[in-house]
Amino acid sequence: MRRNTFWSWFWIFLGTLYFLLPLISTFLFSLRAKKDVLSFLSYERIFTDVNFTRTLGFSLVVAVFTILVSILLVVPTAYWIRLRLPQLRAMIEFMTMLPFVIPAIVLVFGLIRVFSGAPFFLTNTYAGTNALLVAAYAVLTLPYMFRSVDAGLGAIDVRSLTEAAQSLGANWATILFRVIFPNLRVAILSGAFLTLATVIGEFTIASFLVGIKAFGPYLSLTGQNKTYEASSLTIISFLLTWAFMGLIQLFNRGKSDSALAGAH
Amino acid sequence: MSFLSISNVSKIFGGVVAVEDFNLEIEKGEFVSFLGPSGCGKTTTLRMVAGFELPTSGEVVLDGENITYKSPNQRNVGMVFQSYALFPNMTVAQNIGFGLQVRKTPAEEIRKTVDEMLGLIHLEKHAEKYPFQLSGGQQQRVALARALAINPRVLLLDEPLSALDAKIRVELRQEIRRIQQTMGITTIYVTHDQEEALSLSDRIVVMSQGHMEQVGTPSEIYNHPTTEFVASFVGQLNLLPVTEVNVQNGTCKLNGQLVRFDHSEQSEQRQISAKPRLAIRPEEFQFGQAEARNVVLGRVEVVMFLGAVVRLRVRIGEALVSVDLFNERTMILPRVGDDVTVNFPAHACWIM
Amino acid sequence: MSSNSFSKPVDTKRDAPKARPALSGWRDWLGVAPFFLFVFLFIVLPSFRLLIGSFQDVDGNFTLKNFADLMDPSILGAYWVTIRISLATAFGGGLLGFLMAYAVTVGGLPRWVRSALLTFSGVASNFAGVPLAFAFITTLGRVGMVTVFLKLIGVDLYDKGFSLYSFWGLSLTYMYFQFPLMVLTITPALDGLRREWREAAENLGATPFEYWVKVALPILTPSILGTMILLFGNAFGAYATALSLTGGFINLITILIGSQIKGDVLHNVGLGYALAFGMVVVMGVMMTLYYFLRRRSERWLKQ
Repeated sequence: MRRNTFWSWFWIFLGTLYFLLPLISTFLFSLRAKKDVLSFLSYERIFTDVNFTRTLGFSLVVAVFTILVSILLVVPTAYWIRLRLPQLRAMIEFMTMLPFVIPAIVLVFGLIRVFSGAPFFLTNTYAGTNALLVAAYAVLTLPYMFRSVDAGLGAIDVRSLTEAAQSLGANWATILFRVIFPNLRVAILSGAFLTLATVIGEFTIASFLVGIKAFGPYLSLTGQNKTYEASSLTIISFLLTWAFMGLIQLFNRGKSDSALAGAH
Repeated sequence: MSFLSISNVSKIFGGVVAVEDFNLEIEKGEFVSFLGPSGCGKTTTLRMVAGFELPTSGEVVLDGENITYKSPNQRNVGMVFQSYALFPNMTVAQNIGFGLQVRKTPAEEIRKTVDEMLGLIHLEKHAEKYPFQLSGGQQQRVALARALAINPRVLLLDEPLSALDAKIRVELRQEIRRIQQTMGITTIYVTHDQEEALSLSDRIVVMSQGHMEQVGTPSEIYNHPTTEFVASFVGQLNLLPVTEVNVQNGTCKLNGQLVRFDHSEQSEQRQISAKPRLAIRPEEFQFGQAEARNVVLGRVEVVMFLGAVVRLRVRIGEALVSVDLFNERTMILPRVGDDVTVNFPAHACWIM
Repeated sequence: MSSNSFSKPVDTKRDAPKARPALSGWRDWLGVAPFFLFVFLFIVLPSFRLLIGSFQDVDGNFTLKNFADLMDPSILGAYWVTIRISLATAFGGGLLGFLMAYAVTVGGLPRWVRSALLTFSGVASNFAGVPLAFAFITTLGRVGMVTVFLKLIGVDLYDKGFSLYSFWGLSLTYMYFQFPLMVLTITPALDGLRREWREAAENLGATPFEYWVKVALPILTPSILGTMILLFGNAFGAYATALSLTGGFINLITILIGSQIKGDVLHNVGLGYALAFGMVVVMGVMMTLYYFLRRRSERWLKQ
């Protein structure tokens, strides 16, 4: 059937302009650090800035810890409510939606008020603060991780897999780590990369808890002080986000490929 | 001239022939089934009548009007889909009234027709329910009522029962036939289920790989299949290799033994292939000796008790043959390994 | 997603004898205990602290004064601007996102456009804060590329009253992460429109326009509204982008709370609690709406 695609192309074109113009102008701007010539000088300055590598490294480590905490928290819970406690499903789904209701700035406000005082005193030590940061991020990314894992569990027949493993003599740890986790690999990875993308550049919570140590606040500070470096940082952080999203897509594609291979 | 005529219709999808030279004349009030395996072109043909596909060549004439290139919403042809395709945002009554509503029929009249349709499908109590609150069988009845509410010139059903449970399928099948006969509506029914086609239709079109294999009444199709495809697709058929076929006399040799077959239709309709085989339906066999019938020896290899029917697999010479016997309460079943004598009448078998 | 609350009855129907007798009731609950503990510590406790705090004065006595203080015109104004900006970007972003998703699903565009759009949307919906603000400054700021270009062809945006650091400038910036989110969430809903619905409508005599007005749009409405509510929340809680774009120049509620935490503007902790509590209330109302809309569309689309 032939149909007129003019308006379809029109909206796509409009959206593409919206997508690309800010990126193009930022990129062009980032090349103008040297007077009158285009150069990658601002990128060189960024890459040689110790704070760049230090803050990026810090945020990466925080992200990795967040992902670990998040997986250990979400996978067994989602598995368990499918297997044993279906009556809790509505309640747990509601809980995983709570972070949508509580904006980051409100969350960090509440966390500081609770955990800086008695009996926790978490913010008195670096380790404590970092742990609080990880917890805050785990809350922030809870909806994504839960949805991803729950959808993954929905795609496999949890009950039959568990019963099959049990009848072959497996214990709970074996079932979880050798049967359930491997089958959720794709779901967990896509949740993990979404977490990574969120955590790396996060500003609100990081700026109040750890300040300039994290990548987000570092971006912000550079943006205020050094114009050209800020634009190259913008491009770099966009590419980073792009890379994480690309990885998610890669893993999702890997899934359908292996499913096909299995069918042959 | 017939009511609906499909002439020389072909459809090619990107170089692949889906339907080839389809010709059919359907009388007013007739119930015709398109029967065939998936991918045989039956649904494509139906969709060309509905207007969802344009024929690559040929034409469709309905009630004297050429509708080949008419858009689907101008044809006034009712269609029932395999997946029901009820609008999920509308109640049962709204679904049934939809076609009249877009025709700008007065509200009072819509209400009347909807009530009438609800009565026809026995779902009066469910008028205000949404599709998701109904069972599959109920949904399909609503879909049927929705298609009938516009008082269509032809009713098209695309595998309407294949998503349903076996029991509901039989129930609804009878209901479809009842409603069709009450309304006297010309109907095309697409199915891959031979039982549905045989039990419902006035005529059946058997299709395979895009072309028509045979057109005929259910009993013609079953008892006088003209091609091997039809013979084996509709019902079960045993094919036993034979030698020394004599068409004039109606005799051949099965394992060296003389066997008589029905040769009345042989000369005009069928070519005898290089490797002739004797064709016979499983239910034509009986056990024991008999006068004036073909009698052969065999050994039982499988016994399956199916309830009303007992299905045996009997080795006769090279061939493994299905033999169906009607169950009787006092019957003593043969056992695997038994040597048996079976007989069958000459008029029940033919050469393919 | 559609298997949520509906899968339960099916599961119980299939609930053949379990492979092993169930652990006793209370031990079943142990499996979810860590999750509940986490939610209690890091979601419930902080929220509860905000709730209590908003009813306390500096010395910890009960008071309603904090809520009375919310009635201050500057604070009401901040709520109002935040809500307006969230509504504007949810609607604008929702509309553009819907049209683009429509273009790549039922709009007849080639397959590669769709995958390109979805990938790009995944990235752009995660692009916020300082980098986003900076990208827009270099585009639509006073000496931004587009501003300069438009000036060359005779349209001076800033003379005409536009400013990137104003309500509409900030809205335009927010839209950059808003409409990709719409694309991502509404594309599956558009994919869920079944071909048979269109064919059934056509078969019953409906024009394509009638099909869209009477069938497709009603089916999509809960999803569209639901997603717009998500977009609303997305803009409502945004802090980093606004802060780095306007430096706190626009009086948003998140920026007020931020100042309160830093302690540079308000010196009344109780008021800060009340501000935060107010945000949670607004979001709570929105999410409840979202929940019911999603329930409705899932119910419809389940077959």
